[in-house]
Amino acid sequence: MKYLVISGNPCCDRNYMDQYIDRFLDGIKSAGHEVQLIVLRGMKIKPCTGCFNCWVKTPGHCLIRDDGNEIARQYIASDHVILVSPLIMGFLSSLLKNTMDRIIPLVHPHIEDVAGEVHHKKRYDKYPVISFLLEKESFTDAEDIAIATGIFQREAINVRSSLGFVQFTETPVEEVLHAINIH
Amino acid sequence: MRLTFINGSPRGNKSNTERLMDHFIKGFLETGDNICEIEYLTKNRHSLAALAEKFAAAEHVIIGFPLYVDAMPGSVKEFFETLQPYMGKENNPAMGFVIQCGFPETSHLRYVERYCEKFSRRMNCRYLGSMLKGGCEGLDVQPTFLTDKYYQYFYQIGVEFGKTGKFDEIILGKLARPEHLKAENLAQIIPFINQALWDAQMEKNGVLDRSFDKPLMP
Repeated sequence: MKYLVISGNPCCDRNYMDQYIDRFLDGIKSAGHEVQLIVLRGMKIKPCTGCFNCWVKTPGHCLIRDDGNEIARQYIASDHVILVSPLIMGFLSSLLKNTMDRIIPLVHPHIEDVAGEVHHKKRYDKYPVISFLLEKESFTDAEDIAIATGIFQREAINVRSSLGFVQFTETPVEEVLHAINIH
Repeated sequence: MRLTFINGSPRGNKSNTERLMDHFIKGFLETGDNICEIEYLTKNRHSLAALAEKFAAAEHVIIGFPLYVDAMPGSVKEFFETLQPYMGKENNPAMGFVIQCGFPETSHLRYVERYCEKFSRRMNCRYLGSMLKGGCEGLDVQPTFLTDKYYQYFYQIGVEFGKTGKFDEIILGKLARPEHLKAENLAQIIPFINQALWDAQMEKNGVLDRSFDKPLMP
């Protein structure tokens, strides 16, 4: 399995999260999988402008010159993408959300009926499973988790993928690895 | 009544969000003494803290955005993060939302609507409600009999809000139709959107035959 871990931790003083990611990567590697880490902090990712050139002008390719296309390239080459972020005001960091907004070149503008709802057609034959590893805020409650998970489930459908897991960094790394069958 | 409309669309004043809100604001301003100020996130990207200060001093705020990958665009999320210092404060403004998407069904907007409601509560803002509208991509190429109907709803919600400070639940409900589409409607609408909206643009750009290109293929 080829894993891609994308860290949307915006702040280098959140040491706990970075150390957690390191131990998480070690666990995936020692289980014999290939894993790559992208740290978004410090990369150049401009927000999507909604120009749709990636659909109607240069199909499959975003015209913004920054690291967005390279991230999309590594995303589509993976079997499983694990998106890591602290919850900030109840949702993914804007750093990670901006990056997710930039993966729309991976799908096609055409829509189709997917289980009774309109979604975009596939551009590629195969899409990675997507999962989320999150750090809770002091005030995170069950409702926040239900809302965020609901959004992730919809996102997985829309990027023609499936939702793997939603886990939290309050759970020890070994337990998370066990829960997701990496051991 | 004072209203601050924060347009969070990455397309700024040329957005579908703006087109819809034009009609709301027109209705809102029909009641004497009402004032509306419009702020664009695209113009405030490097001064979000100043915009957050304006937010905190406002009376009523409506934040508008298009659905991006099933939630708010990253730039809108960044603004929400900037509001954290004002979380739970007394005297925060009343807050409402306008959220639109290209997908024809409103079902796509329900989780982000719940997020916005929760966000308002967490901020200690009185929640005005969310105006949800699907089918908004390419408003300028849609037949006017369709767009006139939604524009009229936005206008009516604006008039009512201008008088009472509340969103009219009944019109919000009408605006949010259809929640889902029946199989036969999907079968009808899908080829139409694919052709009229997408193939037409690709053809104009001479790339229709490359429409399914895979430039990032591993």
